[in-house]
Amino acid sequence: MADVVPGADLTPTRPRGVATRATRAIGALAAVLFAWVLVGGLWFTPAEKQQGESVRIMYVHVPSAWVAYLAFVVTAVASACYLLGRRRSLGFDRVAGASAEVGVLFMALALVTGSLWGHPTWGTFWVWDPRLTTTAFLFVTYVGYLAVRGTGATPEQRARRSAVLALLAVLEIPLVHFSVVLWRSLHQQASVLSPDGDVKMDGSMLTTLFVGVVAFTSLFAWLVVHRQRVQAMGDALAIRELDDAIAVRGVAG
Amino acid sequence: MDLSPRPVGPAPRRRAGNRWWLLVLVATVAVAGFVVTRFLTSAIDYYCNVDEIGVREGCEAGRRLRVQGTVEQGSLAAVAGSTRFAMSFNGRTLDVSYLGDPGGIFQECIPVVAHGRLVGDVFEADRIEVKHSNEYVAENPDRVSGDGADVDGCSQQQG
Repeated sequence: MADVVPGADLTPTRPRGVATRATRAIGALAAVLFAWVLVGGLWFTPAEKQQGESVRIMYVHVPSAWVAYLAFVVTAVASACYLLGRRRSLGFDRVAGASAEVGVLFMALALVTGSLWGHPTWGTFWVWDPRLTTTAFLFVTYVGYLAVRGTGATPEQRARRSAVLALLAVLEIPLVHFSVVLWRSLHQQASVLSPDGDVKMDGSMLTTLFVGVVAFTSLFAWLVVHRQRVQAMGDALAIRELDDAIAVRGVAG
Repeated sequence: MDLSPRPVGPAPRRRAGNRWWLLVLVATVAVAGFVVTRFLTSAIDYYCNVDEIGVREGCEAGRRLRVQGTVEQGSLAAVAGSTRFAMSFNGRTLDVSYLGDPGGIFQECIPVVAHGRLVGDVFEADRIEVKHSNEYVAENPDRVSGDGADVDGCSQQQG
């Protein structure tokens, strides 16, 4: 950065994007699969015998919850890579942060859609039962994680603190998943990953749900890659601004 | 070269954004505490099965309870604005009275959780929650009686 002339216009003549051929392919895949879920979920899958039409909420609710779990696991893995890596690369920290942001978004979606499903099925939007409470707690934990990332610190301090927190927070996921087995819960047990290994779901519903999971996972990958690249550009800009300020000071001195 | 110290200017102001994040962090801890507290409070009387009333600790008949059982076939009746039914679990049956329509997918042969108190021999519920199993069966108007779902004779009438 030593060749930066103080006061020079740093605006690039052609804006650099964060997309690549690979991310465009992932985005296109997600768009196609979402179209499939939309059409299949609304028209080609049947209503459920007891739930009726409200079963269609499942095609958003379950993939959202799955992606939230996945996102928090990715955050933990990236955090571990940061802490254990020899170079302590901030790239891992950026992936951890981006994944947590997307995870919080999808966890909120899972909570909202679950609540919308609960009213016509259970007769209530919310109960303080083990599954719902631990899920709410998981959501709040990761909002806290994002808050820790936002507190004033150097990038290295931020990365170290949030990595430790991420490794602790991820331990909540088994508690959430098995809460319906460990305690008596209004929430039903898992249908696909059921403890007895028997999938108790109509074939077309299961297919649409599976496509939904792949669609949401593709969207997750697309969002995380873009978000961490935006963060990398932000960090590069901060370094450039710092170099520029040092250069200005050097000229003044 | 001039090595004299630079004039000291005003101290740099801390970024206001950091303070907002700190507030969010404190609020998050408070909300987490609230969630845990609510869960523990709820857990005290959550889910006694019908056969556990007066037997299991925390399921004493004189206290407010949440009772789980299955709505018995043929027991569902609407009487003067109340919904009355019998719920059973492990061979024990409990008569339940609820003011109004329970809502949700309430019907006969479905597991429910009733919140309320035992008054005499009748459980007076002020809230009914309907449980749904992890089975997802396609609605089929052409389904003939005698398939797996209907073997036990449970009707699917809305309560």
